Amino acid sequence: MSYKHIIGVFDDETLLLKAFRKLKENGVNIKDIYGPFADHDLMKAFAPESRLPYMAFIYGVMTIIGAFGFLYYTAVIDYPLNYGGKPYFNFPPFVVILFLLTILVTGGLSVFTFLGRTQLFPGKEAKMPDPKAMDDRFYLVLDQNFNPEDIKGWLKESGAEDILEKEIDF
Amino acid sequence: MEATYKPSRSVKIAAALMLLVGVVAVITGFTTDPSRTWANLLLNNLFFLTISIGALMFYSLQYITNSSWSAMFQRIPLALGAFLPVAAILMLLLYFGLPDIYKWAQPGITETDKLIAHKSPFLNVPFYMIRIVVYFVLWISLAYALRKFSLKEDQQADLKYFNKSSYFSRIFIFVSVIFFSLAAIDWIMTIDAHWYSTLFGFRVMVTSMYYAVALIVLLLFFLNGKGYFPQLNQAHRHDLARYLFRFSIVFGYLWFMQFLIIWYANIPELTAYYYPRFVGEWQFFFYAEPLINFAIPFLVLMSDKVGRKKEVLISISLLLVVGLWISLFLQIMPGSYGAIRFGFVEVGLWIGYAGLFIIAVLETLSRSALVPKNHPLLEESVHHHL
Repeated sequence: MSYKHIIGVFDDETLLLKAFRKLKENGVNIKDIYGPFADHDLMKAFAPESRLPYMAFIYGVMTIIGAFGFLYYTAVIDYPLNYGGKPYFNFPPFVVILFLLTILVTGGLSVFTFLGRTQLFPGKEAKMPDPKAMDDRFYLVLDQNFNPEDIKGWLKESGAEDILEKEIDF
Repeated sequence: MEATYKPSRSVKIAAALMLLVGVVAVITGFTTDPSRTWANLLLNNLFFLTISIGALMFYSLQYITNSSWSAMFQRIPLALGAFLPVAAILMLLLYFGLPDIYKWAQPGITETDKLIAHKSPFLNVPFYMIRIVVYFVLWISLAYALRKFSLKEDQQADLKYFNKSSYFSRIFIFVSVIFFSLAAIDWIMTIDAHWYSTLFGFRVMVTSMYYAVALIVLLLFFLNGKGYFPQLNQAHRHDLARYLFRFSIVFGYLWFMQFLIIWYANIPELTAYYYPRFVGEWQFFFYAEPLINFAIPFLVLMSDKVGRKKEVLISISLLLVVGLWISLFLQIMPGSYGAIRFGFVEVGLWIGYAGLFIIAVLETLSRSALVPKNHPLLEESVHHHL
């Protein structure tokens, strides 16, 4: 499904941030931002809340419980071996394995969660509003939920270098 | 910006009263149980020395990494280092109590204890005192140089003072890494002269910065509550919380590595150190140490939204003060005094030392501008944001 979108082109991230705030105030729906580098203020303004850390925490807790069960099963129930006269159930040597397994599983699951949520996969073709996007200019992709002339006026006012209108599939 | 902190009358009186409590505790301690008092003197000396050295290491690290966020309050770690000369005098006074604290310093021990006799070329009283003097001469002279350049920068805007501070920071970090590790071995590890851990010096040296950051947080918010540092914002608090969080992981890692390897290897000389702590009567402190120093800060500061709250930072820092005390108590007391005693001598001595520490730090802090005037990274620090 492709709609017509208005795209503001900026060569300065501070101007872009100003335009972003102005458009947001006026209720324009901002679809996406393309740029050559990440800007922290912009990222915070565009997506203030990421739920990924909470998922990572849940994965971590689940892994610790699961890995402990696994270690207990292998070391105590299924294949108890006597090492140097130490009891079968011993917490200290478990800690290192719990620590490493938690990092491995949490890291992996977080990556897959991120890929799934953003619908990314290796080899996916990038959707670009313009072939030149991400070269040396910032591209601000907007919905046309307002009078296009108003949006264009606001973009011009905030110092947009160029304003494009394109049908893009999002 | 130009403000200089002047400790109010009530703060001065409170610190003087604390010092008085300490003096009373010393007198009661020496009349009832001298050996216990000597061990406590060592503990409290190390407590505040750890903070001083850690704070100066934090200060040097800011110069080495060219960090701008902390430039605004860099006088605080510098002032925390002002306890060093006091600690030097008090540490040298321990000479009279060495046999009470260290088994190897008891006269005639080399004839009955073969291991200590073997170690005696290193572990003897004259060489021990020489080492202490060398450590303090190095630390105090470098701390003096760092302070001198920082104050000269106030009077004359010149980049050469920043470069000199940076240069001396590099020297200081090397000196403190090597000599504070050695000092930790001398002061703490030799209490149990048969025992050794190759990780020990490094662990004490690195975690000293942990507690120093906690004290920096406390002093910073104390001054902020009085109206100084109005530019202190969420980003500064965020960075301080991250410092504490990372160091809590470092603490947990090193603490556990030292334990695990000794536990696994099961060599009698080494497990003899952990036996009374792990299964004996010191068990409570053994479990309290990682809980307070690692588990609670780690879980609380994990979320930066929680960690950057002022109240959370202050309570975690206060908890770490208790944590450092427990950590030192567990390392010093079993080997030197040998029994769990917690009473007026312990509390009173700590209060006395804290009073002395407050007097030394606040006096130094009030002698110069609170915010460095011509620091090249000052503007960046004031407008710090993430």
